[in-house]
Amino acid sequence: MKSFIPREVESLWTLFTAPTVWAMHFIGCYAAVAVYCAKAATLDISFDTVRLALGGFTIIALAVIVLSAYLAWRQWGFGSGDPPHDEPTRKDRALFQGFATLLLSGLSFVAVVYAAIPLIFIAECQR
Amino acid sequence: MVELGNFSPEERAAQEERLRKVWKTPGGWRYWTSVNNSEIGLWYGVTAFVFMLFAGALGLLMRAQLATPNNNLISAELYNQAFTLHGTVMMFLFAVPIFEAVAIFLLPSMLGARELPFPRLSAFGFWSFLLGGIFVCGSIFFNAAPNAGWFMYPPLATDKEYAGIGADIWLLGLSFIEVASIAAAVEIIVGIMKCRAPGMRINMMPMFAWYLLIVAGMILFAFPPLIAGDILFEMERMFDWPFFDVSRGGDPLLWQHLFWIFGHPEVYIIFLPAIALMAMIVPTFSQRPIVGYSWIVLAAVGTGFLSFGLWVHHMFTTGLPQISLAFFSAASEAVAIPTGVQIFVFVATMLAGRVIFSVPMLFGAGGLAIFTIGGLTGVMVALAPFDWQAHDTYFIVAHLHYVLIGGMFFPIVAGIYYYFPFVTGKKLSDAWGKVAFWLMFVGFNIAFFPMHFSGLRGMPRRVFTYPEEFGWDLFNLVSTIGAFIFAAGVLTFVIDIFRPKPEPETRNLNPWNAGTLEWTNDPSEDWGMRSVPIITSRYPLWEQENLQADIEAGRYYLPDAKSGKRETLVTSVLDAEPIQCLRVGGVSYVPMISAMALGGVFIALTFHWWIPTIICAVITFIAIIWWLWTGTAQIPEAEEVDVGLGQKLPAYVSGPASVGWWAMFITMVGDGTAFASLIFGYFFYWTVHDDFTAGSAGPGAFWPMVALVLFVIAWLLTIAARALNEKGPAGCRIALVAGIIVTIAACLAGLAGPYLQGMDPTSNVYPATVWVIAIWTVVHGAVGVVMLAYCLARSFAGCMTAEHDQDIRNVTLYWHFMAFTAVVTFAVLGLFPMVST
Amino acid sequence: MTDERLTDRCRPTRNRRFSAPLCPIALLLATCLVSSCSGNHSTLDPAGPEAAKVAQLFYVMLVGGAVIWIGLVSALIYSARKKHQHSEQTAGRVILWCGAIIPTVILCALLSYGMWLMPAIRPWVPDDQQVRRVEVTGEQFWWRVRYLDEAGSVVFETANEVRIPVGQPTHFSLKAADVIHSFWVPSLGGKMDMIPGRTNPLTLTADREGTYRGVCAEFCGESHALMAFTVRAVAPAEHEAWLAERRTSDPQDAEGLAVFLNNGCGACHAISGTAASGRIGPDLTAFGERGTLAAGTLPHTAEDIARFVAHPGRIKPGVKMPHFGMLPEHDIKKIAAFLKELR
Repeated sequence: MKSFIPREVESLWTLFTAPTVWAMHFIGCYAAVAVYCAKAATLDISFDTVRLALGGFTIIALAVIVLSAYLAWRQWGFGSGDPPHDEPTRKDRALFQGFATLLLSGLSFVAVVYAAIPLIFIAECQR
Repeated sequence: MVELGNFSPEERAAQEERLRKVWKTPGGWRYWTSVNNSEIGLWYGVTAFVFMLFAGALGLLMRAQLATPNNNLISAELYNQAFTLHGTVMMFLFAVPIFEAVAIFLLPSMLGARELPFPRLSAFGFWSFLLGGIFVCGSIFFNAAPNAGWFMYPPLATDKEYAGIGADIWLLGLSFIEVASIAAAVEIIVGIMKCRAPGMRINMMPMFAWYLLIVAGMILFAFPPLIAGDILFEMERMFDWPFFDVSRGGDPLLWQHLFWIFGHPEVYIIFLPAIALMAMIVPTFSQRPIVGYSWIVLAAVGTGFLSFGLWVHHMFTTGLPQISLAFFSAASEAVAIPTGVQIFVFVATMLAGRVIFSVPMLFGAGGLAIFTIGGLTGVMVALAPFDWQAHDTYFIVAHLHYVLIGGMFFPIVAGIYYYFPFVTGKKLSDAWGKVAFWLMFVGFNIAFFPMHFSGLRGMPRRVFTYPEEFGWDLFNLVSTIGAFIFAAGVLTFVIDIFRPKPEPETRNLNPWNAGTLEWTNDPSEDWGMRSVPIITSRYPLWEQENLQADIEAGRYYLPDAKSGKRETLVTSVLDAEPIQCLRVGGVSYVPMISAMALGGVFIALTFHWWIPTIICAVITFIAIIWWLWTGTAQIPEAEEVDVGLGQKLPAYVSGPASVGWWAMFITMVGDGTAFASLIFGYFFYWTVHDDFTAGSAGPGAFWPMVALVLFVIAWLLTIAARALNEKGPAGCRIALVAGIIVTIAACLAGLAGPYLQGMDPTSNVYPATVWVIAIWTVVHGAVGVVMLAYCLARSFAGCMTAEHDQDIRNVTLYWHFMAFTAVVTFAVLGLFPMVST
Repeated sequence: MTDERLTDRCRPTRNRRFSAPLCPIALLLATCLVSSCSGNHSTLDPAGPEAAKVAQLFYVMLVGGAVIWIGLVSALIYSARKKHQHSEQTAGRVILWCGAIIPTVILCALLSYGMWLMPAIRPWVPDDQQVRRVEVTGEQFWWRVRYLDEAGSVVFETANEVRIPVGQPTHFSLKAADVIHSFWVPSLGGKMDMIPGRTNPLTLTADREGTYRGVCAEFCGESHALMAFTVRAVAPAEHEAWLAERRTSDPQDAEGLAVFLNNGCGACHAISGTAASGRIGPDLTAFGERGTLAAGTLPHTAEDIARFVAHPGRIKPGVKMPHFGMLPEHDIKKIAAFLKELR
């Protein structure tokens, strides 16, 4: 796996990985049920199948977020230094990025879990 | 460590003389041609504030009408215009512009830049805003204001008998202002990413800049869906294309989706900058750096993302499947987490500091106390079952005012108290401030707290009157009294701003003893930073010794203006290493003329004056081309400029290193979002109908595929032109000409599908959707033609050469987006009808 | 909680910087909550299972919210007025626990409660199990009410007043004729929009007999404020009798009917069993039974009926009905008397 992911990603965009995963998961869930509930009559799929599929999708999304969190944790030196990371050095800048990305991964994880809660309780397309 | 410059007093005086001349704000009536950020920011802010007072007066008018049951102080029609305009003006003409104003005013100084990268664009944005705002507000004096609510739901707002010209004023006036907001977003993003002082790495950025970066990014994704919605809406009103007309396959819910995809992020677009001001104020008065810098970044970025997953919570009662509503409930609860983090960052900073409780803190803390109530009721209404009861009642009116006044208005006032010395060199009065605060705080709560109860007791929103037998009368009377107390507080504050103030005895640039860079600026000079410092701390004024003196002695970068041009530094995104000396635009009529002409287009369209529309459009076009030709990608007199401290930097860079490339990239992201919204519309109609083509043949597959292939060829030709340009002009010119011809052919082929199939856009929503998407792409193709022709002309004029290739590089970037748009458009239009059946 | 106890609680903190404005707010809150248990138009005075469960949800959130708010404001006041500084580590822990972890847990619990509640209060009812069906169409600015049989065909039509049997769910099919409206009976449950081109379902049940008021909750034009209706919950047997009785109608006042018909009222209004068969305006069959006039805007008196017939636009701006002020006063009075007594 190491060969795929460079040791240090020098980019601002890594910060947005986990929230982007949340966004994908959210749009995926919303679009899936919107299309399913609109076209249920023409589809030969039960709502439980949709719920299960979205459950699987949720687990994949959580796995990607955990991976992003791991990379961020690594960039943060596995928690070797405490914030505030305000030294004028490239290293502190990278530590800051790692820590902020880790926090965002945490928030994204929670948000994805929240989005999965409705799948537990709501079993029909009722309005 | 670099050696700082050392200048004799004579040298310094000469430098200052040259700087003063270059950055001078013109006098007399030419003052209004100024583009300097401190002027534009101030005009922007004052204008937005005046609009706020106007909308506030409308609010008082409404409260007066509702003071007693069955009151007939004002008519139902006037009331409906007043509440529509109150919401519209507060959201579009106050809340968003005031933050743009603050950003334009403060950002350069905070970041240690002389100027934002596109000062003329800021000026253009301001003039657009002013014109559009006056147009929208003025309508009420002609009894022609929009009257269908600030959300403009069709079919009420598409009903020409009910919503007359007012609806067009809303749609066109605000589209125009949305353009200005997107311009400001481009300016802010590029400014924050590329124009920071050397050494200001991303872990050093002031909190304000972090928030503003996120907010500007949100604007880029939030406003375009509304613009797409406006296009559909105006096509229905003007040309009878039935996007929202159910009798011809349309659906009013599409508007609600597009409006709220904009509308909810909008709330956070308003709220985050105000919290950003708090993040500047709290550390200053806690006398220590903020605790939890990274947490603030989490909060800002997290809120920015999550706010796009909330829009359906405005549509909980529209009868969507419960499971859809539930996802939005979940995201609406999740967004409370970063908001909570934000608030506790302030609490933590105060805990770890020694707090001085001054007027800005009073407003800040009072605002937080109010905002938290709004946040908690927000958590309540985020749950669909509770919202089914609370939706569209006075409970929501209370909730949203607690959020916006506590989360936005109080912090803005705190910010004005805090930054008043930065703007004028004088402080506002503490005594007046305290009176204003208590009047506002107490008045606000008296006005809005009872609304929770009138709402729960069944009082719906947007009613011009109410019967007396449900116990709503007492609540409403109390609310009205409170509203006037609140207004008295605002008035006190306004008087404090305008009352004459004595000159301070000693010159003190940093009266609050703040730590951030902006407080090194002298408000009496136009140049911003005397010299651009090297930053090694988050709070340079606290932690970098002698900084103020060194800056003023011109010991850092750009202490001089020998070239006679306005210059600022461009640095790298992550570590802020200097990479370019950027020349920014100076005083000019062009932004004002283009804004006025573009405004003319929108206003003439409102009244269906076709010939003035065309004339104004032509003037706009010429003005913009003139602006670009004379103001952008100028070949410098020397390749490298001495920026001081023994360093020389290029004056001309192209591609991703240049600010222009980034501006194009960011603009096209916004443009792509609008396009995505139209495509969303296409598939939305597919989901609501069993047969979404309504039996129509559609554009067929042949012509769309021809258009698709031709657009791809034109894209490849553009790339070839850029590559050939590096070898010499001849090959590039041939490729450009070929590109122009192929693009024209592609545009014609794009229209041929729906045209040859005889698709009548007024007959059903399907042909209308096909047409609107095809036209969108073809218009972009036409812009692509203009760009290619522009490059050709620049090449012949010698303004674009192998070394100086900004133009063609930016145009190539445009074409990447263009090609994507064309491929999606024609693949969807040509192939999806076949797949779906 | 009585007002007196609250006053006591507020007294010791009265001179503190932040608490001064809180006393009146707390008092107001108590007064409002206590006094809100009255009237037939309040979400806090539930008369049906949906409204009751939502009211309960509200009280849970209200208590939780109040605790959180008091906690936060206390923290703000404390951190502003404390004598010594806390360490940065302590402050960091405040962010982690109070800002992130505790809210995450609370919100997760609340969200689960809400998600459980949704299908619990609005369960899935297949079409073939919907027995009592009423179709309500929102029009500017009144409600067309149609009672449907099990096959979905219209049994009879009325306006601005719905009768439902107590204890049994009534299934509403909500439609809109012109613009978007929203159907809301606060005492019985949440609202549901009426959107042109769509039919939205809503099931409501009343637990006890009574008259409940409903309103249009979505802004629908000039007289949106004047678009209310009444729900009468009656004993099931009484309801059945009423349904049977409403299938026929027999106006007694032949002279009044003649004036009504001669002046063209029948072009827009229908009265079952007569020549009046207009479908544009509200059906007036058995109009005399209704409790209010002009969609809950006026009391049901002959004078008010006369006033409305003469100048409907003065009472309801933007109303579609033309004014009949040009008729002789005598005729207007006749029409009013006829309608008042119409059974």
